[in-house]
Amino acid sequence: MKKYSWKFPLIVTLAVPLVFGGLFAYQDATAEDTAGSTPADPMQFVRGAKTWANTCARCHNMRDPRELRDDQWQGVVAHMRVRANLTGKEARDVLLFLQQSN
Amino acid sequence: MKKLVSIGKASVLFIAVALLPVLAVAQSDAQRIAELEAKTAAMAEALTALQGELKQAKQDGTLANTAELKSEIVKATQYAQRAEKAANEWKNSTAVTHIAGYAAVGYTDEENAMDSFDVANFNPIYHFQYGDRILWESELEVNVGDDGQTEVGLEYSTIDIFLNDYAVLVAGKFISPLGQFRQNIHPSWINKSVSAPPGFGHDGAAPLTDVGLQIRGGVPLGEQVKITYSGFVANGPRLEGEGGELHGIDTDGFASDADDEKVFGGRLSILPLPKLEIGISGAFGDAAIVENDGLGLVGDPSRDYQVFGVDYAYQWGNFDFRGEYIEQDVGNAAGSVASKGGKWATWYTQTAYKFGDAKWEGVVRYADYDSPHGDETQKQWALGINYLLTPNAIIKLGYEFNDGLAGEKTDNDRLLIQVAYGY
Ligand code: HEC
Repeated sequence: MKKYSWKFPLIVTLAVPLVFGGLFAYQDATAEDTAGSTPADPMQFVRGAKTWANTCARCHNMRDPRELRDDQWQGVVAHMRVRANLTGKEARDVLLFLQQSN
Repeated sequence: MKKLVSIGKASVLFIAVALLPVLAVAQSDAQRIAELEAKTAAMAEALTALQGELKQAKQDGTLANTAELKSEIVKATQYAQRAEKAANEWKNSTAVTHIAGYAAVGYTDEENAMDSFDVANFNPIYHFQYGDRILWESELEVNVGDDGQTEVGLEYSTIDIFLNDYAVLVAGKFISPLGQFRQNIHPSWINKSVSAPPGFGHDGAAPLTDVGLQIRGGVPLGEQVKITYSGFVANGPRLEGEGGELHGIDTDGFASDADDEKVFGGRLSILPLPKLEIGISGAFGDAAIVENDGLGLVGDPSRDYQVFGVDYAYQWGNFDFRGEYIEQDVGNAAGSVASKGGKWATWYTQTAYKFGDAKWEGVVRYADYDSPHGDETQKQWALGINYLLTPNAIIKLGYEFNDGLAGEKTDNDRLLIQVAYGY
């Protein structure tokens, strides 16, 4: 005899991975971004700057691109991709922006 | 006879005249020879000098140096090429190791209590990344306890596998993705208030961590709107009993499941504007009392466990608004050492404003925490002023007006000072 309604959490829990994980599982992200295999996208820096301005001060103060080296930004952006639920594309754009602005 | 003589004279004269140029030639040849001889002598002299110099040069090793110099140049060029390659290597390496984290020190002046330097912690975060496939993130929490002992905890440790652009699989001990404070705000360099809102600490209303599997990511809906999600299955919390009552919900993250029923949960959020996020969280499963009156307990019946939460965050100009409601419910369980369940619920709303060239920040927060135990229940106004040394180094001064059960700690007002640094 369940006293608490379990329907809402069940829907959230199951729908979430199924809808988003499953739906996009076939889109292989890495095929798109293997370094050097695609010609440089001139808009990537602009998109990265925009995503940075819109996203990176949402939870904490904005961190200056000059604070860190290219390789350090690599680790941080991967970390933030998970924490802030960035899409792979947003993460790649922001990383490029940060690495070209430090 | 006279005529003969004159013919002879004329002949002599003629021969003499004819010989004149010959003599002249003989004369200029001699001059040239003399000149040539002089030149030859000069050249011989120069040659001797040159030979001398050459000899000297050989003795000095100047010539040998020239050859050496050539090979040095070749070596240096090769070295420079290698150095240039090496200098760029770290930009292109697949595996990256990175250390981040934060540290804080603090002082609390509390009504009816001892004033102390009561915060000194150091939380290193390690990142091990392999390309855009894997990130291992681990955070330790190292702090000094009341008794002077150093306490070390594993705040989280997960392997994050990037499945595709929209999904990351997170496995291990993770910060609870329910609500926003715990996963996004709690590090001291991020939290604009000096303290966590009531109900967001240990045994409170908001879950802290869990051990299990999580899948999370973000999906754009058109140009501007974005959805984020996280779903998890984990061991869930443990319950504590005391004096026949449910004392609290321990959500420190356990590598075993006392009730054998997993907890399922998740959070869904929408960003209708890039700087506005609205989230809804929920979880359900079972939990059981494993500790009663400070002693381990086995076999207490398991009971329902549920979480529900909503949160929002919005940035507008120099303003930062956020707020959140979260509750954990535990059902009744017949035959338990503490059969009656309970609900721990809290909410807060916070506004911060940056001024003075973004060097200063004022913060106001209101919170209301309800627990089944009267001595935990608390309403609080927290005011603060922060000075930002850098965006990640903050000096915070705060004052809390606390309203709890009379005579309890939750009723004491507090003045708090904290210096926090995120690196
Ligand atoms: C959803 C909230 C959120 C957003 C959005 C966010 N961050 Fe963070 N960020 C955090 C949290 C939380 C931490 C602290 C992590 C910890 O202590 O585990 C952090 C830490 C950091 C750090 C410190 C180093 C580290 O890896 O811990 C840097 C630098 C950083 N973020 C940069 C960024 C950048 C750049 C962006 C934009 C792409 C960004 N953040 C967006 C929440 C966020």
